[in-house]
Amino acid sequence: MNEMSGFPLKPAPFVTTEEPAQPKADNFKLNRRSFLKASIAAGGGLMLDISLPRASLASKPGEDASFAAGKATLVIGADDSITLIVPGGEMGQGINSALAQIIAEELPLDFTRIRTVPAPYGAQYGTGLQASQVTGGSSGVRGYFDYMLDAGATARSMLVAAAIQKGGDPNTLRAVAGFTDPDSGTWTPNLVRDDAGNSWSYGELATEAASTNPTTSRMSDPDAYKVIGTRMIRPDIREKVNGSAVFGLDVQLPGMKFAAVKHAPALGAKVSTMGAAPAGTLAVNLDTAVAVVAADSWAARKALNALTVTWTSLSYAQQSLVDTATQTGSLNSLLSSTTSAVAEAKPAGTSAATVLSAINSQPRKLNLTYSFPMLAHACMEVLNCTVEPLYAPDGVTVSAINVWCPTQAPDWVVNTVTALLPALPRDKISVTTTLMGGGLGRKIEQDYVAQAVRVALFAKAPVKLMWWREEDFARDFFRPAAVSKIQVGLDANGSIQGWYNRIAAPSVMRSHGFVSPTASYSSFVDSIAVGSAVGNGDEPMPYANAMTRRVVDYVEQKTGFSLGFWRSVGQSISCFAVESAIDECARLLGRDPYDYRLSLLAGNDTMKALLEDVAQLSSWKSAAPPGTARGMALSPGFGSSAAMVAEVTRVASGSTTNYKVSRIFCSVDCGFAVNPDQVVAQIQGGILQGMSSARWGRMQFDHGVAQVKNFSDYRLGRMADTPIITVRIVNQGSPLGGIGEVGVPPVAPAIANAYAALTGTRKRNLPLGI
Amino acid sequence: MQTFVSVRPNPLDRAETGSERMTSITINVNGRNWTGDVADTSTPLLWVLRDRVGATGTKYGCGIEVCSACVILADGTLTKTCTENVANFIDKKLVTIEGLADMPPAGSSGVTGKMLQEMWVESQVPQCGYCQSGMLLAVYALLRSKPRPSDADIDQAISNICACGTYPRVRDAIKTLTGQAIAA
Repeated sequence: MNEMSGFPLKPAPFVTTEEPAQPKADNFKLNRRSFLKASIAAGGGLMLDISLPRASLASKPGEDASFAAGKATLVIGADDSITLIVPGGEMGQGINSALAQIIAEELPLDFTRIRTVPAPYGAQYGTGLQASQVTGGSSGVRGYFDYMLDAGATARSMLVAAAIQKGGDPNTLRAVAGFTDPDSGTWTPNLVRDDAGNSWSYGELATEAASTNPTTSRMSDPDAYKVIGTRMIRPDIREKVNGSAVFGLDVQLPGMKFAAVKHAPALGAKVSTMGAAPAGTLAVNLDTAVAVVAADSWAARKALNALTVTWTSLSYAQQSLVDTATQTGSLNSLLSSTTSAVAEAKPAGTSAATVLSAINSQPRKLNLTYSFPMLAHACMEVLNCTVEPLYAPDGVTVSAINVWCPTQAPDWVVNTVTALLPALPRDKISVTTTLMGGGLGRKIEQDYVAQAVRVALFAKAPVKLMWWREEDFARDFFRPAAVSKIQVGLDANGSIQGWYNRIAAPSVMRSHGFVSPTASYSSFVDSIAVGSAVGNGDEPMPYANAMTRRVVDYVEQKTGFSLGFWRSVGQSISCFAVESAIDECARLLGRDPYDYRLSLLAGNDTMKALLEDVAQLSSWKSAAPPGTARGMALSPGFGSSAAMVAEVTRVASGSTTNYKVSRIFCSVDCGFAVNPDQVVAQIQGGILQGMSSARWGRMQFDHGVAQVKNFSDYRLGRMADTPIITVRIVNQGSPLGGIGEVGVPPVAPAIANAYAALTGTRKRNLPLGI
Repeated sequence: MQTFVSVRPNPLDRAETGSERMTSITINVNGRNWTGDVADTSTPLLWVLRDRVGATGTKYGCGIEVCSACVILADGTLTKTCTENVANFIDKKLVTIEGLADMPPAGSSGVTGKMLQEMWVESQVPQCGYCQSGMLLAVYALLRSKPRPSDADIDQAISNICACGTYPRVRDAIKTLTGQAIAA
C-alpha cells in the first residue's frame, strides 16, 4: 500500500447531498443519518462520505465536543474497486479492517478485495478542522459502529436504486458479495442481481447510484449478524509480510533530506551555544534540542555527534522536579499531607476522618501502600515526521505545508503547523497519516512534529526527521509515577466496613490542557489518575457496592517530567492497587481469593459472570501444577471488562531461584466482538505489554538525566518470556466496548497475587522485579 | 520481486559539496546489483538499504543489535545490519524482506519464503507489523537449521522484540507450518 499517491482524493462536486444537520451534542446521535453525503468519485463510481463523531477523549475547555471529528469515505469504483478511507490511525489494532467489516454487514463485499487507506487530513479533503481526530481511549471501532452500518445500508440502497433504473426487478433485487473461485481463480465481482436473471456489478452501477435518492434502511439483524462477529483476515496484513507497508519512517520524497535530533542531556535544559555545522550539513537550534540535516540518516547522526553544543544547567529546584528519587519522596510525603481533593465519598459527605475511624474500629485492618514507576511507551518505530514546505514564487513565503506522520492525532498536527506559521491558512496544510509502528498513546503528542516543521523550514527542503532510540526513551511522555495507599477495615464476617484510598500522582489532564490552568491543586481531581479506583466513574471499581463506607482522595503532585497517555492510562495504576488489596484482604481472612471476590460482587452480574468464567477456564479450583500458583484480577475499562488469572512458576537455576509467568487466562466481555480473532490479538498483546511492564518496566531520571538509553536498559518480554495465553470472549449483551487497553491493567495484580500465593511474599512496588 | 524506489540525488550529498570523496560500491540485494556512491563506507548496511537502495522493509529499532528489527540474510546467515559497515557486505548475497517471497524451501522443512508469508497472513500474526520483517527472516533462518523446531528451539532462536506481543501467534504459526501440535 502507498497512501501517498494512487487515489483521487479531491472530492468531485456533490451531485446529491443532504444538508448536514447542525451538530449539537444532544441530537448528534439521532441525526447521524444525515451525516452521509453521496457524490460521483473521481474516475467514476460512488463516493459516500460518512461524518463521524469525535473520539471519546475528554474535550478541552472551550472546545465544542459535538463537532464531527472527520469522516470516513467509502468509494465504490467504476472499476469494481472498493476503497475505505479511514479516519482512525492504524497502529496494529485493526481499525481499518474492522470498520470495513461492519460496512460489509449491510453491503455485501468480497472482503479479500477491500483496500483501506488512512484518511489524509486537511481542509482540501473535507475533514473537520474544529475538533479532534484522535485515535485513543479504545474508541475507534465502538465509536464508529453505527455510522458504518448506516453507510453500508445507504450504499446498498443506492446501488439497488440504480439497478431499478436499469430495469431490474425491484421485488427481487439483492446485493451479493463477490468471490474468487478456488479452482479456476476467476473473480466474480460484487453484484446486484434479481430473480429475472439481471445482474450488474457494483462498479457498473456505482456512477449512476451516486445520483439516486439514498435511503438508510438497515437489513441486518443485530441478533443474527452474518459478517460482523466472524473471523476476518485483515486486508492490510499482506503488505506487512513483504516489506511494502509504509510506516512513517519509510516515507521517501524526491530530494528529501534526513535530520537527526539530540536533546539536552538534562530534561528542561536548553541550548546555550551551538558550533558550526559539519561540512555538507545544516545545524538547527531547536531550543531544547539541536538537529542536524544531512544526506542520509547515518550522515546526520555522525554530524550530530560531531557538532559542538553547550547546554544551560538546571537550578537545584529544577533538578529536583526531574529526579526520580526526589519525586518518589515527594509522592510519599503527599500521602500524609493535609490537602487533597475528594474523588469519591460514600455515603455522600463522608470525610476521610470518618472512614478512617470506621476502619480503626474493625477487628481486622490493613494499611497498604502501592508504588508505581514512570513507564515508557517504547514503540518499535521511533518518533519521526516528514515535512515538505512549499514556497511562493518569492522563494520566501511558505505557500503550503505537507506532512507525512505516524500520528494518532492528525488535526493536532495541523494545530502544530499553524502555531509555527500563523499566516498560513489551514487549508494549505495537509497531513497524511502513515501506518504506525506502534502508537500506544505516544504518537498523540506533537513535540516531534513541531521539530520536523521547524527543521524543514530552516532547510527549505523536504526533511524526514527521526529520533534515534536513545532520544525516544529519554524524551518520552511517560506514564506518571504514583503511589496509592489503601486502608481497609474488615468486620468479623470479612465484610468491608471501611475503605480509604489516597492516590498521589501528577496530572496528565493538567499537563495536556484538559483542565483550566488555574484549577486548584487542592480541589481538582484528575479522572485519569484515579482511574477505576472510584465506584462512581465511567468504569466503576468492581467491588464498590460491597463497601459500606468508602472515600477516595486524590493529591496532585507538581513535577517536571513530561507525562502522557500510556496504554490503559490511569487504570494501569488503580487496577494494581485495588486488586492487590482485595487479594490481601482474602489472605488475611483465610478465604480463597476467588470465593472472596465473588462475595463482593453482588449487583455486578457482568463482572461476576466473567470471574466465574475465568475460574472455569483456568481450573482455579483444581490444584496448580507443582511449583506453580495462581493469582487473579478483574479489570473494568474502556467499555469492556476482563477477568484474568496468571500462573507463576518457580524455576530453579543452579543455586538461584527464578520465576516465570507460565500461563495467563483471560475472559473478556466487549459486548459483540466485531472480529473475534482481532479481539484475541489485542488481549494477547495487552497481556504481554502488561507483563513486561509489571515485571521490569521502570523509567528513571537522575537529576534530569534519563537512566534508560535503549532496550538493553528497558526490558520488553521476548519469545522465551511468553506464557501460554488463553483468551475466551464472553458476550453478555453489553454495548460494544473497546479492546485495545482492557487487557493491560489486570496483568500486574494477577502476577503479584500469584507470586504472593506461591512464595508468601507480597510485592507492592512495581516493577515486581521477578 | 519488489521494485526499489529510486531515491533522487540529494542536494546535500557530499559529492555536491565536494567536502568528501565518494566511494562507489556495489551490493547485491535480492539478486540485483545496486551500485551507488557512498560518502562513508563505515555507514551501517541498514542505512544504505533504507536511505539509498530504498529497501525500507528492513527496520531500525535500537541501533545496538539488541532488538533484531534490522536482520537480513547475508550469504544465508541471519545478520544484524544496524551497526556493521556496508563495506563488509560487498561480496555477499543479501536477502531482505522484499526478497523473502522468492526464497526456496528452508532446509529440509519444505517451507518456502512464500509459504511463510502466507501462513503469517492466515494466522494473522502481525499487529502493527513493524518488527515482522525481522521476525520472518529469523523464522526462515530457524527453519533452515531446525526443520521441526521445539519450543526451546523457538525460544532460543527468536529473540526479536515485538512490542505488540505477537509471540504466541509466531510460535503457533511455526508449529502449524512444521506439522506440530499447538499448545492448548
